[in-house]
Formats: sequence, structure tokens, C-alpha cells
Amino acid sequence: SEMSKDMMPGPYPRTPEERAAAAKKYNMRVEDYQPYPDDGLGYGDYPMLPNKSQYERDPWYQWDQPDMRHNWGEPMHWDFDMYIRNRVDTSPTVVPWHTMSKHFLLFLSIMLIMFGLGEIYPSYRPVGPKQYPFNDLYLERGGDPNKKPPAVIHYEI
Amino acid sequence: MAWAPPPSAAKLYRPNRFVSLPAELDPATYDTSPEKLRAEAERLAIRSRLKRQYLLQLNDPNPPAIIENPALIRWAYAKSQNVYPTFRPTPKTSFLGAVYGLGPLLFWIFVLKTDRDRKEKRIQEGKLKRSPLSVFF
Repeated sequence: SEMSKDMMPGPYPRTPEERAAAAKKYNMRVEDYQPYPDDGLGYGDYPMLPNKSQYERDPWYQWDQPDMRHNWGEPMHWDFDMYIRNRVDTSPTVVPWHTMSKHFLLFLSIMLIMFGLGEIYPSYRPVGPKQYPFNDLYLERGGDPNKKPPAVIHYEI
Repeated sequence: MAWAPPPSAAKLYRPNRFVSLPAELDPATYDTSPEKLRAEAERLAIRSRLKRQYLLQLNDPNPPAIIENPALIRWAYAKSQNVYPTFRPTPKTSFLGAVYGLGPLLFWIFVLKTDRDRKEKRIQEGKLKRSPLSVFF
């Protein structure tokens, strides 16, 4: 596009004048502007905004882009495409995260341990082989009807 | 004996990377100092200036073909073209590059090699049942 080179993101700002110029470029206050730490990872002078998803923004305000809850010209988060409303949601939960994870992991671990123990030490009532009538189903299993079937007795009196 | 005051509700909530603190528990919501009011006024001024620019372009009788959003262009540029010039080899980036670049390669080399060696050993000992016709190896 026809934006000049100094309107585009650049290298990490080192002097306070560079920081002020970068804040003005990104339409932010100088006090609000906080670039990513200079680790050499490739962020440059892009501002580090709080990691909040677009779900947390006011649904009743008249945004310029209502589905993205984003205003024209407002600096976008580095992970903006992750924080849209179809994806990651960092809204505060009713129950704190550590409580939820503790409950879930406790439940899951107890259930898995009990199932594992049930596999190692199974317990059921004593069973024997199934007893079929009519001499172990001699005719149904294809025995010759003219021959006398072998007598199978399942009981004792 | 004086006990320490109980931990605040915000500390009990413990916001982390996945959830943020609700506004009701955040002490900054209840802060009405003049600095905060001035900061809010400055932010509002920036926001209204941008909104005015946008609405002027939107309701223009001869509107431009596309109202391009400089923030979006900067975001796309920063994520795609500004990464290589601002990258710098440091111990951390070299380590991460080795882990993500060489790690999977060496891992799969090791796994596949040991698996096939074990299979070859079993074939030599005659333990593996091999069907005469197979379209897989």
C-alpha cells in the first residue's frame, strides 16, 4: 500500500524519542506503549497489549467492526487472530481456574486409579460354564436325528 | 495478637494465562485518582480522533473503494515482513531453533531406526510371520 516506511513497524526502539514516535505511530499513549522485550525473537517495536480475548470487550459499545469488537486504527494484539470470538476466550470464569483444574484432575485421577485397580484385581461372583438343555443342543448343532445322542446330565440328585 | 489481613479476592482468584481477573475484583476499577481520569481522557481523545477519521471516510458521498485500516496493515507487516529484520541470534533463539528444528528430526530418526532394527532382528531370528503377498513393505 502507499503507507510510508516510517508508518510501518520497525526495529526495537532504544531511545525515548524512538519510543514516543513508535507510540504515536501505533495510535497509543506514550505511557501505555510497551514493546515486547528485546529478545531477538522478531517482535521489533510492536506493542505488547494485555492478553485479553475479544470476548471481554463491551458487547454493547458501537464498535466499527462489531463482529471483531475492534475499532478502526486501534492497535491489534500480536495474537489477534487467536483472540477472536470464534477461538480462544479469556473471559473471567465464575469459579477460579485453579479450583476448576484441581477438581477436574482429582476426579480424573481417582476414576483412572479405580479403573486400573479393577483391571488388576477383578472381583465378581463365582461363575461356571453355561449349561445347555436337550443334551447340549444336540439336534440344533447338527446332530443326526436318527442316532441316539450322547446323554449329558448337568445335575446330581 | 494481630493477624495479617486476609488475602484479597483478587489474590484468591489467581488470574493466569487462560482467564483474566474480573473487573469487579480489580482495584483499578475503583481508582478515581486524577491521573487515571487524565489517562482515560487522553485515550478517549485518541479514540474519538480515529473514529472521526473512519466515519468521515465511511459516510463520504464519493467513498474510496476500500477504507484500509492502517492498524491491520501494520499488524500483517509486523507478523510477516518485520520478523526477519528484527531477528537476532541469541542463546535463547539458538536453543529454541535447535529444539524446534532439529528435535523432531532426530527424534523420528531414532524411533524409526530402532523400530526397523528390531523388526530386522526378529526376521533374522525367524520370529516374524511374513505373508508372501503384501502391497505394504
